[in-house]
Amino acid sequence: MNELIETLKQQVIEALNLEDLTPADIDADAPLFGEGLGLDSIDALELIMILEKDYGIKLQSPAQGKEIFKSIRTMAEFIQANRTR
Amino acid sequence: MTDTSNTKTQWQGTTDGLPWMHRALVAVLGKVPIGVIYVFAAVFVVPFYLIGNRRGYLSQYHFFREAFGYGPFKAFRYVCLNHLRFAQVIIDRFAVYGGRRFRFAVEGLEAYNELAEGESGFVQVFSHAGNYELAGYELRQPRKRLYALLFRDGSQTIMENRENVFSPNGVQMVFVQPDMSHIFLLNNVVRDGDIASIPGDRMFGSTKSVECQFMGRQAQFPMGPFQLAVVREAPIVAIFVMKESWTQYRIFVRRLGLSLQGQPAAKRQHTALLAQEFATCLETIVRRYPEQWFNYFDFWQK
Repeated sequence: MNELIETLKQQVIEALNLEDLTPADIDADAPLFGEGLGLDSIDALELIMILEKDYGIKLQSPAQGKEIFKSIRTMAEFIQANRTR
Repeated sequence: MTDTSNTKTQWQGTTDGLPWMHRALVAVLGKVPIGVIYVFAAVFVVPFYLIGNRRGYLSQYHFFREAFGYGPFKAFRYVCLNHLRFAQVIIDRFAVYGGRRFRFAVEGLEAYNELAEGESGFVQVFSHAGNYELAGYELRQPRKRLYALLFRDGSQTIMENRENVFSPNGVQMVFVQPDMSHIFLLNNVVRDGDIASIPGDRMFGSTKSVECQFMGRQAQFPMGPFQLAVVREAPIVAIFVMKESWTQYRIFVRRLGLSLQGQPAAKRQHTALLAQEFATCLETIVRRYPEQWFNYFDFWQK
């Protein structure tokens, strides 16, 4: 799980061009949106694409999104349980 | 690209009037000639808004003064024309709820049909110039469903009527939600081959914007519709529905991003280019129909 979390941090930094940050700067339990990493709702599109392209997961229920993308850790847990690649 | 958290640049509006007024208007428009309602609005409603809605008046006045370089009297005349046109456009929407139909001429119908009949989902971006809502009665997409992102209007009557008119045409309304579920829904819509209809000139939900050259100055356009098209690598089309006479509209369909196809570009750069292309199309339309610019706030404010 820790390895997946570190990989995810790097993928999020690259996808969202968070050039000022390193994986070590991101708290795995901090909220991704609002406080914490301070992402905007539009940034969720890039997170969705990480799930689709890198892990073969297509989100089915829009209502799931907020819980899945709560933090890097919740993303990692969801990926571990649902990944197809 | 910037984060525009200033609430003054975000749409906060609703349709004026009480529910019983909206219901009465729908009922009356089913029976009374529309010209009678236009004249009634011109005499009794438009002056009220010209005097009472100072913010809207000033934003339009400055728009005609600065964007078009009109003198004070011409700018005032166009503000009056603008308010009159806006009243007609709103009346037309209620007239459709009451069963009335308008005539449409369409420029770019083939391009639209090609997308509507294709396998790929696409993004349909529109503006608050003209009367986009009427596009749904002329542009058909029998193979797809259209999901329209809307600001939740306070009026239950308007929402119910929209639902009644839109549902048989395969149109479903989507509202901005605090849990961002609208973003996930619109992503699924495009991914699954349907149409996401999103305003390209108003920010609600996300505060991220793209700075574009528009009517001679830099203005902020929402990043959302363009970002969705880029991230999903989906086609994007701009739709403008402009009123030309009491009974006729002209619909303009413009494919965006065709010149960018096959060119390597970073996603952010691609998003910015699409937004600028939309802004340029919108400017062409607004210069042709200056009295149909219905963004009643300082569009250029940072």
